Amino acid sequence: MDIFILTLISGIFVAAASGLVGSFLILRRMALLSDALSHVALPGIALGILFHVVPIWGGLIFLFLGVMLIWVVENKTKLATESVTGVMFVTALAIGALIIPEQDLLEAFFGNVAKLTMLQIGLQTFVALAIITFILIYLKRLTLFSIAPDLSASLKVSSLKMQLILLILIAFTITIGISFVGVLLMSALIIIPAAAARNIAKSFNGFLAVSVAMAILALVSGLLIGEIYNLNPGVMTVMASTSLFVISLFWRGVALKHR
Amino acid sequence: MAGQKIIEVKNLSVTLDGRKIVGDVSFTLQSQEVLAIVGPNGAGKSMLLKTLVGINKHYSGEIYFAPGTKIGYLPQRFHVDFYLPITVREFLNLKPEHKYTLEEVLRLVDIPETWLEQNLATFSSGQLQKILLAWAVIDQPHVLLFDEPTENVDVVSQESIYDLLHELQDRLAISIIIVSHDLDVVYKYANTVLCLNERMLCYGEPVATLTNETLSELYGDHAFFHHHHFGDHHHHDDLQ
Repeated sequence: MDIFILTLISGIFVAAASGLVGSFLILRRMALLSDALSHVALPGIALGILFHVVPIWGGLIFLFLGVMLIWVVENKTKLATESVTGVMFVTALAIGALIIPEQDLLEAFFGNVAKLTMLQIGLQTFVALAIITFILIYLKRLTLFSIAPDLSASLKVSSLKMQLILLILIAFTITIGISFVGVLLMSALIIIPAAAARNIAKSFNGFLAVSVAMAILALVSGLLIGEIYNLNPGVMTVMASTSLFVISLFWRGVALKHR
Repeated sequence: MAGQKIIEVKNLSVTLDGRKIVGDVSFTLQSQEVLAIVGPNGAGKSMLLKTLVGINKHYSGEIYFAPGTKIGYLPQRFHVDFYLPITVREFLNLKPEHKYTLEEVLRLVDIPETWLEQNLATFSSGQLQKILLAWAVIDQPHVLLFDEPTENVDVVSQESIYDLLHELQDRLAISIIIVSHDLDVVYKYANTVLCLNERMLCYGEPVATLTNETLSELYGDHAFFHHHHFGDHHHHDDLQ
């Protein structure tokens, strides 16, 4: 089969995972955190390029380091998580930009689907499916933890564990999304569809469904427009999801007026 | 089952950042007993409940529950994000165990079924409290821990929630621990009262226990003259 078609199919699953994970980040108000975290992948990608391994696996290692750091800072120290992630994110960006050769830098920043191998497409589809399955299994617990941490804790659900689970889910989602939209735009794939879905949805299931649908729509149209007009698909994906967000704002405005 | 020991607490202390927030609290709760915890704002009342319910795990002392005791917890604050898209039905279904159907539990707490499909964010804080109550009793708990809200709840809905609690206690034969700053509530509904101002200042049957001396020690001398509704003047939250 044409590798573009495979990329497209893989993209559908990756986008669905992003839309799901993004929904919980929006509820937990962790949108900026996921943005910061995605930049942390850059030094890992740099090392991957230097040592000639698939760059994104280097990225995954650094994402995990970032996740552990955020989790420890948030729970074991009195430091402000916000400032620590802020510092971490610009530093990671600077180190990454320093090491990565200039011709590869744009690719790391904005993604490059053209470089995807069959193996990578297979692996990221598998990871996306694993993320989706995991979220569906833990749906109730994740939801309760996200909207009412106290109620969740009163049911003996460990908040520390739930928080770590969410952070790890973010790390994996960023890892599989970076080849599509790059380090700088990754949060657009995770956050914008969920933010748009929140504007429209009336129920929680609706919220998740719309978020997933919007993420898929954005990524697929981004890939198609990129392919047809020879533009960067990552950038086009972000433009598509932003357009969907703007539409959702109007939708919300109309819905509020008619309430 | 009346008269059976449900909870026993011995020398419970909670220290946060080197400061003792709850000191040396001991009490027992029998089945079908209503225990009121009173004290000024910031006295550690909410922290005591959070410790009992397992949200706060840093404490010293002993907390004993009769085997198989199920707890229903109503937190002091339940802020629903205005943008949060979730219906009452979806919210109640998040509780892992249901002993009542949704329809049954709504009847129990006097909520119309039409609320089920409405968005949680559209309700007033008084209404939200009823929804929380439905949440708390849906798995038939043995004990309800009710942390009275300090803000945004009007007097009328507050009174109706107490009537409701009273009725539930009768019908379901459950024990209740209420955190309150309203002494009327204590006299009206509680079998036992526990005064807390960082440490335990009194414990016993309300009328005999809440002497003028105890009250002035609990709230400070000035509060003596205000009589009831001590908490109403300062709408700070308890220490979280």
